[in-house]
Amino acid sequence: MTRTSVIVPVRNGGPLLSEVLEAVVREAPDELIVVDSASTDGSLAIAEEAGATIIHVDPSEFSHGATRQMAAERSEGDLVIFLTQDATPVPGWLESYRQAFLEEPQVGAAFGPHLARRTTSPMIARELEEFFAGFGPPGSVSLQSADGSTGSSESFLSNANAAYRRTVLEEVGFRELAYAEDQAFGRDLLAAGWLKAYVPGAAVYHAHDYSPSEFFQRYFDEYRGLRSTVGHVEEPQPLASVRQVAREAAADLRWARDREGLGGTRSAALLGRSAVHHGSRKVAAVAGGRADRLPPALRRRLSLEGHAAGGDSGAAAGGESPAISGKPIGPKRHRELYYEVLDFAHGGTVDLLPPVAGMSEAQRLHIAIVIPPFLRGSGGHDTIFRIFRHIEEMGHTCSVWLADPTLKMKGEWPAVIRQRIREEFVELEAPVFKGFDEWYGADVVLATGWQTVTPILQLPDCRARAYFVQDYEPGFSPTSAESLWAEASYRHDFFAICASPWLAQIMSERYGASTSVFQLGVDEEMYFPREVPRRRDTIAFYGRATTSRRAVPMGMLALAELCRRRPQTRVVIYGNREPLESTFPYEYLGVASQEQLATLYSEATVGLCLSVTNYSRAPQEMMACGLPCVDLAGFSAESVFGADGPVTLSEFDPVALADHMEALMSDEARWNALSEAGIEFAARHTWKAAAVEVEEGLRAALREREALIGQA
Amino acid sequence: MAMEAETGAQAELERENEELRRQVAELEAQLVEQAARTNELVARAQERVYWLDRWHIDLERLVAIPGVSAMRAFVRAIRAPVRVARKVKRSLSE
Repeated sequence: MTRTSVIVPVRNGGPLLSEVLEAVVREAPDELIVVDSASTDGSLAIAEEAGATIIHVDPSEFSHGATRQMAAERSEGDLVIFLTQDATPVPGWLESYRQAFLEEPQVGAAFGPHLARRTTSPMIARELEEFFAGFGPPGSVSLQSADGSTGSSESFLSNANAAYRRTVLEEVGFRELAYAEDQAFGRDLLAAGWLKAYVPGAAVYHAHDYSPSEFFQRYFDEYRGLRSTVGHVEEPQPLASVRQVAREAAADLRWARDREGLGGTRSAALLGRSAVHHGSRKVAAVAGGRADRLPPALRRRLSLEGHAAGGDSGAAAGGESPAISGKPIGPKRHRELYYEVLDFAHGGTVDLLPPVAGMSEAQRLHIAIVIPPFLRGSGGHDTIFRIFRHIEEMGHTCSVWLADPTLKMKGEWPAVIRQRIREEFVELEAPVFKGFDEWYGADVVLATGWQTVTPILQLPDCRARAYFVQDYEPGFSPTSAESLWAEASYRHDFFAICASPWLAQIMSERYGASTSVFQLGVDEEMYFPREVPRRRDTIAFYGRATTSRRAVPMGMLALAELCRRRPQTRVVIYGNREPLESTFPYEYLGVASQEQLATLYSEATVGLCLSVTNYSRAPQEMMACGLPCVDLAGFSAESVFGADGPVTLSEFDPVALADHMEALMSDEARWNALSEAGIEFAARHTWKAAAVEVEEGLRAALREREALIGQA
Repeated sequence: MAMEAETGAQAELERENEELRRQVAELEAQLVEQAARTNELVARAQERVYWLDRWHIDLERLVAIPGVSAMRAFVRAIRAPVRVARKVKRSLSE
């Protein structure tokens, strides 16, 4: 590397410009370029006198990033160095840069310290001194990398005094930002694997002394730039800020006394100036990070550069108004919803641990259950927790991990979530974790909903992955991102532990998954025939309209038909938070408690619960209380109860449904037979029995992995 | 003769395999125990920190706040003489 190009953007360079250019010329670069934005103060003449090549830029087209990139592309040096019009290089500046780049080929960019001028205020002078001292010892070059392995990983880089290897400028390039393009470049450079060097010998005299209001505006712009480039937002901390301002003012005073020997009056004045300076910086930092929330007029007043636009888009940077612009909306979220999907797109599936002989038959397994967020009364979660409470009782170790891609439970911490599970569902012994920062592996990691699949695929130290499939989730919503993700979740080669033979058939036939089946259980301590007289006129309808798979409109039509035929029928509808509108009178029970339901099922004549995907727990709970139930044929209920089993299955037709209900109300012998068969069926389907089936599924998932031993 | 040596070597290999299997099983059992104990400890700890989690109090962050350590030291410093004074008072009143 031999050729050097020095580029100095100028606009009305003022009295320091000739000093700067003379100092540059003394360093003898191969090329000196001045990028002038319509100066009117004689800057052009000074530049011509210094022998600079001049590039003219219309002020409306100037932006810190794009203009520098353009100038760099028009320069010829292997090493491109940027200065500002008020940064005067010290002797040996250029040679220091040249040496640094020669000695370390992995260095893509370098910067040198900024020294205070004689007239600089103590606040700025001390800050500069301490700031650059932090990058490394005074006599030697310090390197920075993305992982911090070669020192600090700070993203600082300032085009007031920075040098770039041409190949890196071409590879990384400046973003088209109105401000803080150099800091963005610093991050991009490190991310691309290059090193950044701090070169103490490449110093410039460069310090900005502004009035307090100008300081405020400058910091406002600086923190607005930090928000748009690195996402940094300063949090307001009033007490801590007051303490810090006091500390800084005291330090300024000590610094000035050590160097200038200040007297009492000047000390007091400095203390005041210093407190205003540091205080305004704190306020500007908080305001700058939230600039997008301020009205444009106020934003313009608070900005030194007069930018009113909220974002730092290319159009804004170029100074041209877009043809159409909307209300600027700044980032509001810490992370995007469903961010795991993107993580997975980048990272892919993590390999499972190699199988170990006999692992599927180990007496105690560690099962990590990954759950989506839940609400009180969530049936799916109740099934999971009940089954895994029994699995814990079998001697296995369980842990629960909440994957919350939609941040529904963002305000709840792990111990609270665990307590909620124990209070609202069952007393699970397992610890509960939120997210996967503390992940420590498992024999089987279990997905329990489509949202939990992509996080699980990225978890290391697992022997097997299984999917606890309680329903066909792509059918839960109309075609949407969520429904497509739900369907995609079945294509990841999980072992599927399915809550009905119907589901298992879908998983194996459509998605090629290995499967096992378990059947939902009944809480036999809650659901049994209560000591209440059985009525002959009552229909209990599970009318949860918010869950479309329960086919509530079809149920309402069937009930309307039944009430037309038998106007004295008493209809009780439960499960919905709001009463449903109907043409017939009915009693509304709302979201009933289990105790209320057990009583209702013990009193009613016929239960009506329709499922157009996997079956509900309600028919079994009705049967456990001796209540014959009507459900739909052709879906999962048939695969569980059988075509001629304890549940009466009807075709998807309101008249047929009304026929079945009417028949059960009028045919006492049939009613008695179905009631007894239902009680007998429910007695066989306990949660403990379900847990045994799920345990077998978990072992089958491990066996499938174990079968790979010996295969290449 | 050669056949006997071969059989002997095979038996030795089998014994070695058996020993390795036994060791793997032992390590596996240790791992299971460790996971079970870890889970139990974390679960117990979560029961203890329930109210901290409920009120979103992170003790790690709390003690890292400047001044909190000094306050704790101050409380400790005044606690010792208060205890001594109470002890003396008790012994005098007995």
